[in-house]
Amino acid sequence: MGQAYKHKRIGYKKKNGFNALLFLSPTLIIFTTFILFPVIFSFYLSFHKWNMFSSVRSFVGLDNYVRLFKDGEFWLVLKNTFIYTLGTVPLNMAFALAVAYFLNKKVFGKKFLRTAFFAPVIISPVAAAVIWRWLYDPNFGFLNYFLSWFGVRSINWLNDPTAAMFALIIMGVWKTFGFNMVLFTAGLQGIPETYYEAAEIDGATRWSRFWKITLPLLAPTTFFITIISIIGSFQVFDIVYVLTSGGPLGSTKVYVFYLYEWAFKFFEMGYASAAAYILFAILFVLTLIQVKYLRSKVYEAV
Amino acid sequence: MNDLKYIPIIKQTRTIVFNITLYALAIATLMPFIWMVLTSFKDMNELFSYPPTWFPHEFHFENFKNAFEAAPFGRYYLNSIFVAITVTIGQLFTCSLAAYAFARIKFWGREVLFFIFLGTMMIPYHVTMIPSFMVLYWLGWVDSYKALIVPGLASAFGTFLLRQFFLTIPQDLEDAAYMDGCSRFGVLWRIIVPLAKPALATLAIFTFMGVFNDFIWALIVINSEQLQTVQLGLAVFRDRYVTEWDLLMAGSVTATLPILIIFFFAQKYFIKGITLSGLKG
Amino acid sequence: MKCAKIVICILTFIFSSILNFQCQKQKEKVDNDIEITFWHSFVSSTIPALNNLIAKFESENPNIRIKAQYIPSGDALIQKLISAVQSETAPDISWIHADYLSELVQANAIYKMRHFIDSENGLTEEDINDIYPPLLHYASWRDTLYSMPLEATNLALLYNKDMLYEVGLDSSRPPQTWDELHAYAKRLTVDRDNDGKFDQVGFFVPIYPASGPLGAWMVWQWIPFLWQAGGYVIDQNQSQVLYNSSSGIQALTFWQALFNMVDISTFTVDYQVAFAAKRLAMALDGPWNLPRYNKLLRNLDWAIAPLPEGPEKRVTIVAGEYLAIFKQSRYPQEAWQFIKWVIQPENQAFWSIRSGYLPMRRSVLNIPEFKDYMKSNKNFAVFVKQMEYGQSQRSIDYHGIAITRHIADAIEKATIGKMDSREALDEAANKSNTLLNSVQEDLKK
Repeated sequence: MGQAYKHKRIGYKKKNGFNALLFLSPTLIIFTTFILFPVIFSFYLSFHKWNMFSSVRSFVGLDNYVRLFKDGEFWLVLKNTFIYTLGTVPLNMAFALAVAYFLNKKVFGKKFLRTAFFAPVIISPVAAAVIWRWLYDPNFGFLNYFLSWFGVRSINWLNDPTAAMFALIIMGVWKTFGFNMVLFTAGLQGIPETYYEAAEIDGATRWSRFWKITLPLLAPTTFFITIISIIGSFQVFDIVYVLTSGGPLGSTKVYVFYLYEWAFKFFEMGYASAAAYILFAILFVLTLIQVKYLRSKVYEAV
Repeated sequence: MNDLKYIPIIKQTRTIVFNITLYALAIATLMPFIWMVLTSFKDMNELFSYPPTWFPHEFHFENFKNAFEAAPFGRYYLNSIFVAITVTIGQLFTCSLAAYAFARIKFWGREVLFFIFLGTMMIPYHVTMIPSFMVLYWLGWVDSYKALIVPGLASAFGTFLLRQFFLTIPQDLEDAAYMDGCSRFGVLWRIIVPLAKPALATLAIFTFMGVFNDFIWALIVINSEQLQTVQLGLAVFRDRYVTEWDLLMAGSVTATLPILIIFFFAQKYFIKGITLSGLKG
Repeated sequence: MKCAKIVICILTFIFSSILNFQCQKQKEKVDNDIEITFWHSFVSSTIPALNNLIAKFESENPNIRIKAQYIPSGDALIQKLISAVQSETAPDISWIHADYLSELVQANAIYKMRHFIDSENGLTEEDINDIYPPLLHYASWRDTLYSMPLEATNLALLYNKDMLYEVGLDSSRPPQTWDELHAYAKRLTVDRDNDGKFDQVGFFVPIYPASGPLGAWMVWQWIPFLWQAGGYVIDQNQSQVLYNSSSGIQALTFWQALFNMVDISTFTVDYQVAFAAKRLAMALDGPWNLPRYNKLLRNLDWAIAPLPEGPEKRVTIVAGEYLAIFKQSRYPQEAWQFIKWVIQPENQAFWSIRSGYLPMRRSVLNIPEFKDYMKSNKNFAVFVKQMEYGQSQRSIDYHGIAITRHIADAIEKATIGKMDSREALDEAANKSNTLLNSVQEDLKK
């Protein structure tokens, strides 16, 4: 078998390059035009001052970046975004994995349950936030009413700086865990039953089957979900805009909200682009860390 | 021996507990949604009574009629669905090809290119929105279906998703196929795609949903009435100062329902594909 | 490989149908009328009135057709205008707001109104003087008029008569002064069953997150209180801000007092909903909601009262919707024709009666139809009468948005943040003055 295989490898490099181009060309053409080019243009903009209405763009060098680091609010939003990410991502993933895992077992009405958990992902962020604003209303909302059944004092969800971040995290997890659940489900489906059967015959417990079979084989999926979730939660915007609008006294003001304000309220697209690139740098570093970490842990799967 | 867990009663209890917990969680998750649906039938005055009412005193079906008539929603639905389907099919196509290249072909610059793809996901769309729009303008595609469809045909997210999934498929099958003289494309089409159905179905759902729910891109590239999408239509019920709750809820329900139904029925594609037994060595 | 062929066929089919749709769209445009695109943000309940207005215009001006397009207000309109101006697809006429007036002017995107007013088909001095002056202030930047008011709005008090009656107040006598407003609000904030939660709130203080889309609206509603206490936002030559004067502190402290009445601060659902649910007795409101209220608040006895008078004077704040003509328009004269038509007294009366917005000029009050309408719609009449003592916030030439933001921060900190109002205002004023000083320095260069 090995011999025949080696035959095919003659002319390996050239053939592969050409093949790759063929497979990649549809994506590359569109990607370069509509995704890569605007991204690079934004980088260019980050060194300019542009109010978007006029065609005049004045070069300011590193001024935007310097101003960013000097702005107290920049650090505040960075902190808030980190808090939000730390609050939502682990919770989200744990929840999603647990639900996906148990939904693979003997449960009635799997279709209904999966649809139920996915429903929050489908509803538009604006409609969802509008509904949650009602739920969170301190006087007339359902949540406080529900809590009053247990004798818990009303919480000033969206008007208290600390509570608002919790409120945002809860809504954030609600809105996105279904997404990860579906991804985990797809990942779990890719693990052959035979492995489990073999392990069970060998006497492995449920728990060790989970740790030694499920998790490792799920690694590429987990890696994907972790990166996507972190990128997503760092870029959270829509729900914040409608739910808290940066929250009482800026307590839920997240990074993209700050960026958005500078772009479309103060009309400084250059400054906003610089902020975007700093975010990019942060996310890139975080991703690199994850890649290295996973590479060292699970050799081939990534 | 761990025979305890094979005792029927304990097994039963465990199953029941799983079921109950999951259902409780599902109801909790659905609660805001249920409230939205029930509210869409309420009269404005009843909307926020306290203690909050769940069921409407009377069912006002005319909310739906009024919402539907506030704008030509029929046309909007057609547009949204057309655009969403086209982009979904297109993305499945381009992303499968690209993901295969990233997963299976060792070409020069593969890692770098992949990181570039990943990198573009890290830039918030608000800053690339205007430059993207300008590209469209230079192409002369403003206010056309092309503007809504073509930019969405490639996706870094989709490529990434499929690549990860393709990586989990053992190469043995493909090697066997190559031996039989199959071309690369043949392998992709005949072996990988069927096995990757869960991932493809997942991407399809996400893409469809993303395009269907898109608001801001459609807003800036479309002017003509005939090209408007559902999300643009719904925006008329909620502006900065005024929310027309009854109509907004009715409109949102009808916008969300199609996708939920599609998801419900598309789930059979999430279920396992061909088992890989019989393939050792 | 035949599957690949099928896929290619499908894609080709899809692309050709896209192109087909395109062709069809082009064909519809061929005819002799001039089409003016008009971008607006009227909500769905105002659309019927708009359609009536356009129909009337088109019947009186046969060669011009108005194509009205709805753009959601606020940020969506800004983003759409940006893309439009950049891609040379700007509308002929659009709503614009003072927020970005200076940017539009600096980008040379809109016409000076004088260009049309002073032309042959223009307006007389009499016409100009008939327009309520505060409206023209708001439409100008650096003393040049860049847009024309389409309609006016101002701020008054919305209240629930039944609720006043229930607590023993005279329901036909709404609060007239600050003290009365405070007293009424206190009486009307009730916890009937003693469970520590208020069953109804007396007065809604419009506190919104300062950095959000409603931050500027919150400031807009606070400014009349500043004026009523004798204060001003900024001095005459715009070199320093004045809102942290003793008047400012008085106005902010008054808001604090009203805000602190309700222990668990304010609503997160919109106040209109709370009012409709009879959970709120009084709130600040404008005429744009009247058509909706007339339709929806049927089982409430509600009314509009003039804004209570402050310690120094009686004043309310005025705003409106403004139309600008874009330089990219191919038919500026026809666009101007529409605007000129819309501000004629008879058409203002027509529009006002149907839309609930206030007319932007005085002589409309003499039109019989309008007079009758005022008689049968007392609430509407209150708003119209208030125009007499309404003022507008003159646009701040530079950093207007940032300064509004500073004020919003101060208001938020003083209420939700429980900061001392003097401190909050001083902090904000420092930031504003720093910006203004940098403008002075830039101008000197």
